[in-house]
Amino acid sequence: MAGRDEDYCSGGSDQLISFFTLALRNLGAHKTRSILTLVGISTSVAIFFSIVSFNRGFETGLFRELERTGIHFMVVPSGCPHEVASLVLHGAVIPKYLDIDVLEKLKDFEGIELASPLFVAQVPNSVKHRIDLVYGMDMTHVKKLKPDWAITGKIPSTDREVLVGKEIADHDVLEVGSMIHYPERSMTLRVSGIVERTGSQDDAFIYMPIALLQEILDKPDGITAIGARVFDPLQLNEISEKLAAVVPGIQIVTMGQILSSLTNLAASAKTLSLSIASIAVFVSAVGVMNTILMAVFERMQQIGMMRAIGASRFDIFRIIITETLLMTLAGGISGIVISIAGSQLLENLIRLIMPYVPSGKMIIFNPDLALICIVFSVVIGIVSGLYPAWKASKIQPIEAIRG
Amino acid sequence: MINLYNIHKTYKRGTETVRALQGIDLSIKKGEFISVTGQSGSGKTTLLHILGCMDQPTSGTVTIDGTRLENMPDARLVEIRREKLGFVFQQFYLVEGLSVYENVVLPLVFARKKKNKEEIFAALSLVGLEKRVSHRPDQLSGGEMQRVAIARALVNSPEIILADEPTGNLDSENSEIIFEILKTLHNKGITIVMVTHNNELASRADRIIRIKDGKICLS
Repeated sequence: MAGRDEDYCSGGSDQLISFFTLALRNLGAHKTRSILTLVGISTSVAIFFSIVSFNRGFETGLFRELERTGIHFMVVPSGCPHEVASLVLHGAVIPKYLDIDVLEKLKDFEGIELASPLFVAQVPNSVKHRIDLVYGMDMTHVKKLKPDWAITGKIPSTDREVLVGKEIADHDVLEVGSMIHYPERSMTLRVSGIVERTGSQDDAFIYMPIALLQEILDKPDGITAIGARVFDPLQLNEISEKLAAVVPGIQIVTMGQILSSLTNLAASAKTLSLSIASIAVFVSAVGVMNTILMAVFERMQQIGMMRAIGASRFDIFRIIITETLLMTLAGGISGIVISIAGSQLLENLIRLIMPYVPSGKMIIFNPDLALICIVFSVVIGIVSGLYPAWKASKIQPIEAIRG
Repeated sequence: MINLYNIHKTYKRGTETVRALQGIDLSIKKGEFISVTGQSGSGKTTLLHILGCMDQPTSGTVTIDGTRLENMPDARLVEIRREKLGFVFQQFYLVEGLSVYENVVLPLVFARKKKNKEEIFAALSLVGLEKRVSHRPDQLSGGEMQRVAIARALVNSPEIILADEPTGNLDSENSEIIFEILKTLHNKGITIVMVTHNNELASRADRIIRIKDGKICLS
C-alpha cells in the first residue's frame, strides 16, 4: 500500500482528477448497474448495426446476382412478376407454359440478340426418393445465360448429357462421367460437367438440354420462360413495349422491373426490420434515462455535497452527461464488436428462415456504418441523459444534505 | 466577518409551516471558534446552512466580509462557497469511487484551481492521512473518513470552516481527534463554526451559541 501512496507523492505535476475521471469512477462504483445498462445499449446497437448491414448486403447481393444472369429481360406467361423474379433468381417452377410460337417470334424480332427457351420443372427421382429440380435450356446458350459459371468437364453436347450443380454432385457423389437414372422413363443420363459452387440456388439444379426435359415430362413444346438479350440495352424499353403489343398472352419483365420488384420486397422487409431496430434503440434510450435518473436520485446527498463544496449547476450537469456519454460510447463500441462476432451466426439463421437470400456474405463490416452507429448511440444517449442531468443540476445543496 | 441581522427562516414541511429561525442576530469575527448547540429541531443546522450560503433566509440580512447575500445569484453563492468556506458534514459524504486523495482535491477541481502536491499533502498530513491517500472510503474507519472530509474542507484554504455535527457519528476517541484537528485549524487562524450536540466539546470552543426554538438563548 505504501508503494501506491508513493505514486501519489512522486512526480512534480499536480494530480487533480478530471470531470471525465470523476464520471468514470462514479460508473465504476456501481458496476452491476453500469454493466447491465451497457448490455442493454450494446444489444440494441448490435441489433441496429446487424440489420442495417444485412439490408445493405442484401441489396448489393441482389444486384450482383441479377448482373450474373446475362439476360436483359424475361418473357413469361401473363402472371405475377414476383414469380418471374423467383424464376430468374432461383429457378422457381411456374405452373404455366408459353406458346412455342412466341419463341420463334422473339427470335425474329428486330433488335433481339438472343432468345433462349427455359423450362424449369420438378422431376420425380425414384432412385433417390426425391424430386429433382431440373432446368431445361438451350445448351449452346449456357455461356451467355450464365457467364459466371465455372464448369468442370464440358457443356452437354448430346441429348443424353446433363450438367449438375455442385450441391447435387456432392450429395450424390457424382463426377464427370457418372450416370443419373430415371427408371420410370427408362432413361440414363451422363454427367458431362459439374457447375462449380456459385453459393446460389444454381448449386441445387440439374441442367439438361430443353428437348430432353420436354421428353422426360412429355411436354414436346413445353417452355416456361424465354430469356432474352438485346443488341442495344438502351433500346430495351422500346423493344419490350413493341413486343408486348405484337405478341398477346405474354408478360415481359425487364431486369430493371425484377430489380424494382425485389427492391420493393426488400424495402418492406427493411422497413419492418428497421422498425424493430428503432424499438430496440428506444427501449435502450429509456433504459439509459432510467439508469441515470436512478443514479441521480441515489446520489442526491453526494451531489448536494458537491454543490456545497463548490460545484456549480453546470459542473453537476457535466458530470452526469459525461457518465451517459461514457456509457453509450462503450455500449456503442461493444455493440459493434458483438455484431461482428455474431454476424456469421445471424447470417446462417437468416438463411434458414428467409426463402431467398442472395449468395455471398450479407453482413459485412463497414467502418463508416459502424462509426455512424456509435455516433448515433452517443447522440441518443446524450439526449436520454439530458433530463437526468438537468434534474441533478437543479438539486440544491441544502435539500440534498437534509435528505 | 459574518453578520446576521434579524434572520427569520420559515419553510413548509407537508402542510406544516416550520419557523426554524426567529430573529437571529449574530456576529462572527475572524479567527473565532464558535460552537452552536441546541436540541434537535432548534434551528442550529438551518443557521449553519445560511452561514454557508447553502440556504437563504426568509427575511433579514446576511453579510460576509461586508457583502450582502440576499438575492445573490446562485453562481455568485457558488463562488463564495469555493473561495471562503469549507464544509464538514456529520455523514462525511465522501465519493465512494474516489481515493482519499481524489476526494480531497474535489473542491480544487470544481474551483478550477491548481495547487502543488505539497499543499495538498499538507492538508492530508494535518489530519494524519498522508499514508492513506490511495485508500477508498470503504477501506477507512469512520474517524478516518471524517478526517478526509476535513482535509477536503481545508484544501481550498478557506477562511471559515462550517462543521455540522462533525463528531455525531464517531466514538469519543475519534471525536476527540476530530475536535483537536479543528482546534489546530483554529490556532492557524481559520474561523470555525461547529454545530454539536456534545456539550463537553461545545464548552471547549471560544464561544457557545445556544439556540432554542429558533432563537439565540445564550451567546
